[in-house]
Amino acid sequence: MKNIIIIFLKEMKDILRDRRTLLLMVVMPLVLFPLIINISSKFMMKLETSAKTKILRVGVILNSNDDRIRRSVSSRDDMTLTDVNDENSIESMINGKTLDFCIVFDEQFDKKVKTLQQGEIRLYFKSSAKNDISKKRIDKLLSDYKNDLLEERFRILELSIDVVKAFNINEKDIVSVKEKFGEKVGGFIPYLFVIFCFVGAMYPAIDLGAGEKERGTIETLLVSPASRTQIVIGKFIVVTLSGIISAVLTFVGLYASIKLNSEIPAEILDLILKVIDINSIIVIFTLIIPISVFFAGILLSFSFFANSFKEAQSIMTPFNFVVIIPAFIGTLPGMKLTATTAMIPILNVSLASKGIISGTVNSGHLAIVYISMFLLAAVSLIICIKWFGREQVIFRG
Amino acid sequence: MIEVENISKRFRLSRKQRREMGEDYSGGKFIQSVSDVSFKCTPGKIFTLLGPNGAGKTTILRMLGTILKQDSGKIIVAGLDTLKEPDKVRSKIGFLTGTTGLYARLTPEEMVKYYANLYGISGKKYTEKRDLLFDLLEINKFKDRRIGKLSSGMKQKVSIARTLIHDPEVVIFDEPTVGLDVITSRNIIKLIRDCRDEGKTVIFSTHIMGEVSMLSDDLAIMNRGKIIFNDTFNKFKTGMKSATIEDEFVRIVGGEK
Repeated sequence: MKNIIIIFLKEMKDILRDRRTLLLMVVMPLVLFPLIINISSKFMMKLETSAKTKILRVGVILNSNDDRIRRSVSSRDDMTLTDVNDENSIESMINGKTLDFCIVFDEQFDKKVKTLQQGEIRLYFKSSAKNDISKKRIDKLLSDYKNDLLEERFRILELSIDVVKAFNINEKDIVSVKEKFGEKVGGFIPYLFVIFCFVGAMYPAIDLGAGEKERGTIETLLVSPASRTQIVIGKFIVVTLSGIISAVLTFVGLYASIKLNSEIPAEILDLILKVIDINSIIVIFTLIIPISVFFAGILLSFSFFANSFKEAQSIMTPFNFVVIIPAFIGTLPGMKLTATTAMIPILNVSLASKGIISGTVNSGHLAIVYISMFLLAAVSLIICIKWFGREQVIFRG
Repeated sequence: MIEVENISKRFRLSRKQRREMGEDYSGGKFIQSVSDVSFKCTPGKIFTLLGPNGAGKTTILRMLGTILKQDSGKIIVAGLDTLKEPDKVRSKIGFLTGTTGLYARLTPEEMVKYYANLYGISGKKYTEKRDLLFDLLEINKFKDRRIGKLSSGMKQKVSIARTLIHDPEVVIFDEPTVGLDVITSRNIIKLIRDCRDEGKTVIFSTHIMGEVSMLSDDLAIMNRGKIIFNDTFNKFKTGMKSATIEDEFVRIVGGEK
């Protein structure tokens, strides 16, 4: 036990002095997240504000005696009216940015509307993230006009609007905010911490296994009184802890970036913080431990097999996909924790976390997740110890 | 004391290794690295293992250090069987190679303390031994600098301190001067002599003839996993049929046709 502690303390000190490890384990989850979320939310808010306040240049080809649309556009402060004569020139005007939207009344519009048929209005625009937000104002304008015409028709026909509305559907959705949130974005959180847990454990694993071989320090360590099992366990704890720290810091980074984000409205912020409560976080953290142990076992085994840092990286890079794919599947809507999915590593943690956030997790399934993950973690540790004990692995090539 | 009795060791060859061996590959999935080797190293004497690259010297030293296990035969180090009590054997030996690596992000002080702790040396005993070695090897002036920033000579001094911090009964040197400059190599040679003078059992492997004549009390010459000469160095010299040690070595291992 004493040797395990000595090895653990030395390895911990060693990796905490490694810039690459610190970058992946601490800086990325803690700094990169708030930065990405802040920048992207600021960008989105700016885009939305700009789209909402932009004075739209609206062209109209009337072809009608009814000039309500034209009057509506010209009376608004957030729109300027341009009378367009030729429909063929609209595209070039929009491309040339002299127009944002153009409303064209069909030549038969008046005739059709008068005979209670369906008239046609063509709306020209160039879709983009910003224009799609602005378009809502034009849609509202046209919708109001449509409602006016409908009301007129009902008046002429002396009918109530209820004639075309046989019944009203009064939806009573009993889903809680927590469930809704969990279903929509709950999968995203485990996806992030699973990935960061893996990435955070990867570099220490490479350094403590293949790095030791590459530096030529493995021989002297093997000649020390520490047994191979003690060496593996000492290193194993460091790699596991690195994964846990990385996953926890991802959480902290995510939490801080949401909490410190001035762009998120207070009511939404309150809602998020209520949904991700302390109990959910604690239960999720208990899932991070077995998955970190599982990752540590696999990564260290690969690392002991490799002869150099570079070889270890090339072995582990494809394994990234083995982690990303089940973690990603867990984010898909409709994916739920069942007795079967509870036994699939990574996917089970992802789905269980999603269920915990939405409050819909089944305790039986959660138990299967714990049992399977702890079993896998134990197996990965045993494999790692056995692997390290093999001469062909340590002195490969 | 080291007693080696009829040890053999073979390694499984990977497909890649078999391909890389080219003409040297003689078929089969295994390569015999050490074949029926026996020798004895006595305290207060330097036992030299001389042989060309690939002769099996490192494999033997690794078996002495319990890093590898022999397939057959028996090794007794400091009165302990390497297969039965490997942990105890390791606490009795110091192991130094020319390619010995150090942890670049640790300081010499931290590096030596790490190994001292693994050998169960702490407190006053550690401080005394560390002070002695650090004074002797002049490590004090750079003891708090990161090892990665040190010169190769400084690094080798740290390796020596690491090897001797637990005052081992048996010291194993595996080609300890490979890649080192003349001054550092001389320091190592002096260290090997000092170990002998202190009554330690010293075994070192080399393929450098100058070192053989400077250090050897007993000599074993290895080729293709077998010992082809094993006696005192004086007997080797008196029985030489060639003009120089180098020529005699080449003659014995059959290097020239």
